[in-house]
Amino acid sequence: MTRRGFHASVLALVAATATPAFAQDAELSIGMAAPITSLDPHEDSNSPNNATSRHIWDSLINRGGSAENKPQLAESWEVVDDTHWRFHLREGVTFHDGSAFDADDVVASLIRARDKESQAFASYTRNISEVIAEDPLTVVVETAVPDPMILNSLSRIRIISSDYAEADVAEFENGPAAVGTGPFKLVSYTPGDRVELERNEDYFDGASEWSKVTLRLVPDNGGRLASLLAGDLDLIENLPAEGVARVESSNGMKVIRGQSTRLVYLGMDVSRDESPFVTAKDGSALGSNPLKDARVRKALLMAMNREAIVDRVMQKNGTVADQYVAEGFFGHSDEVEHVAYDPEGAKALLAEAGYPDGFALTIHGPSGRYVNDSEVVQAAGQMLTRIGIDTKVEVLPWSVYSNNYSNGEYSLFLGSWGVNTGEVSNPALAVVAGRDADKGTGRYNGGGIDVPEINDLLDQATASLDEAEREPLLQEVSKLTFEDTWLLPMHYENVVMGARTGIEFKPRGDKYTLAYEVKSAE
Amino acid sequence: MITNLIRRGIQALFVIFAMTLIVFVGVNVIGNPVDILINPDLNQAERLRVMQNLGLDQPLWRQYLSFLAGLAEGDFGDSFVYGRPALGVILERLPATLELALAAMVIAIVVGLPLGLYAGLYPDRLSSKLIMTGSILGFSLPTFWVGLMFILLFAVQLGWLPSNGRGETAGAWSFLTGDGLRHLILPALNLALFKTSLILRLTRAGVQEVIAQDFVKFARAKGLLERRVVLVHILKNLMIPVVTIIGLEFGSLIAFSVVTESIFGWPGMGKLIIDSINLLDRPVIVAYLMMMVVLFVTLNFVIDICYTLLDPRVRLDGKG
Repeated sequence: MTRRGFHASVLALVAATATPAFAQDAELSIGMAAPITSLDPHEDSNSPNNATSRHIWDSLINRGGSAENKPQLAESWEVVDDTHWRFHLREGVTFHDGSAFDADDVVASLIRARDKESQAFASYTRNISEVIAEDPLTVVVETAVPDPMILNSLSRIRIISSDYAEADVAEFENGPAAVGTGPFKLVSYTPGDRVELERNEDYFDGASEWSKVTLRLVPDNGGRLASLLAGDLDLIENLPAEGVARVESSNGMKVIRGQSTRLVYLGMDVSRDESPFVTAKDGSALGSNPLKDARVRKALLMAMNREAIVDRVMQKNGTVADQYVAEGFFGHSDEVEHVAYDPEGAKALLAEAGYPDGFALTIHGPSGRYVNDSEVVQAAGQMLTRIGIDTKVEVLPWSVYSNNYSNGEYSLFLGSWGVNTGEVSNPALAVVAGRDADKGTGRYNGGGIDVPEINDLLDQATASLDEAEREPLLQEVSKLTFEDTWLLPMHYENVVMGARTGIEFKPRGDKYTLAYEVKSAE
Repeated sequence: MITNLIRRGIQALFVIFAMTLIVFVGVNVIGNPVDILINPDLNQAERLRVMQNLGLDQPLWRQYLSFLAGLAEGDFGDSFVYGRPALGVILERLPATLELALAAMVIAIVVGLPLGLYAGLYPDRLSSKLIMTGSILGFSLPTFWVGLMFILLFAVQLGWLPSNGRGETAGAWSFLTGDGLRHLILPALNLALFKTSLILRLTRAGVQEVIAQDFVKFARAKGLLERRVVLVHILKNLMIPVVTIIGLEFGSLIAFSVVTESIFGWPGMGKLIIDSINLLDRPVIVAYLMMMVVLFVTLNFVIDICYTLLDPRVRLDGKG
């Protein structure tokens, strides 16, 4: 080989290996906005925990960013009858410790999640009566009642190795039991600080491009932003509104936006004949509850300049909402019309309903629970005052507020629901269905809404497994709810993230930040 | 000495007892932990099961009695949020807090004491006046603002130090590794700023008080070396208030460095207690406050022992 030829071949070799070698060593640091409470995937069900556990563990069903159900550990499935589902498991999958994945692991995981003392996953497991391993690669799930949401539920429950079915929380946090089939292996976990992960080279869906992933837990907004600017983090959740301009103007940084499924709404007391926080303007009793009148409720919505709230108060971190879910999600109704900002029309409607001079009320809201929640409540209060309703604003810490509003102690209040199933029955059952302890409906129906038609539609929709049958039912629920303005829809919170320019990520409806879905832009 | 120790122990027990009562009643006045902790998707029957598991379905007095019964066996109960023993949740964060507090205190003493001495001995020099002006800044600038400025300057602009987190640890400690040390510098400086100013000003005031006293004049008249006059006669006599402050401030560094811990993402106990209060995680709040009572009682005792070492006239048995 000549000298020149040798050089050329070395160069070719370097060129051939350089790019992939670089990609293989790529590391990713993500700044999470909320701390996780446990690494045990069945101990506590909240977004940060569930997002973190998805790195290490898989589920039978893979939830996509728009809440669609895709195969993961289950390759395919079929409905046997109303209460039986058969799942065919993926072959050749192994856990991080090398043991093979089979039907016993599925049985152990589903039962563990169902029977765990914390009951964190009860809303997903409550209908699972039995899980049967027919053979090592086939599982049948028996439900107590026909459960149309079972696929969504199963997408929530991580499959652990049956060896660790009896393990307690500490064994997961220290590592030995934190063995999954997922795209990343646990390296270490420091509570309140970070979760360190390394790539699972044998991941069935192809190894991630990130060899090492660090999930940093940085709840402090300023700290998270600074870490991004300093280059310590590649991608941060919940970019604070005051940091958007800074990131946009920085070289090598960008803002990533997407829409979440979290609906923020105003609820109203529509059940009592006299509502505790609604009075005449001089403070005397009104003798009636104007919020029971659909015209008054519509007037309140017309008084809201929601575009301005989204634009100014939310700093574009929200999208105006008209119903439970945005277009494209299951149960969205095309017949719900956008109610435009119209203060004059609102005054006319109030007069028509018998309140030409308005009245006085107090609006309640939490502080620090949702994005700019107390500011939204204040803006809403001012807008109501403009149509002649004297509005006082009261904001309370979440620990005090949550109990009061769900128990119907307020007249007009800010509420929110993260529609984590991506379809209408989930929010409707919780916040609009009549309260019924036996059925478990209406738990967060703080306004005492009880509309027989809506309740019946929801009963039918939750009993049917046929999507084609369910869809019109839920669309009708959306239509009835917002035609009579039982809730005042305000906005969907946006997902706003900061990243360095080399990072591509499509925000998910459930706001999870999954390293496996983060790509480097080449 | 021994009787004193026992007496203090008994006092501490009373304080702890009163405190547990206050926390139990207080948490229930703020709100219902169940509403905070339980997944909103659960139905009423499932909520009831969780409440039973946590013992929250019982009347408050019975919850308190079973807490006391557990305490007698050294069991502080399981955290509502973390599902693990509350004491363990706190203790695993103790090293982070301890090393941050110690580092800050060492900086405060090493910088504050000599500068205070200098400013007290030579009050008319320009450098002394600069030091005193600087200490006013250290006093009055809010910690969170200084912390953010530190981050902006040293991490974002200059890129010298990491902005956030604890870095690599050796065992439970991060000051043993280079990376950990680099992470420690900014938060420790941030915490130390106020304490340094405090010690500096106390020392200076002490020096000016002591320097005018007869025994100092006598020592100088005797022809003692200036170094001996300063280090033995002056320093030792001004140390009593300084030691008191160092002790108490060390306690508050451990217990209440919440702001610095939040800004720098330092996984210590301060962050934990604020989270726990927001989530009404009663077992952690109670265990934490009990630890703090013990800590402050112990610190006060250590301070008292220091007094006797510094000033032989002070006796611990109360007769001196």
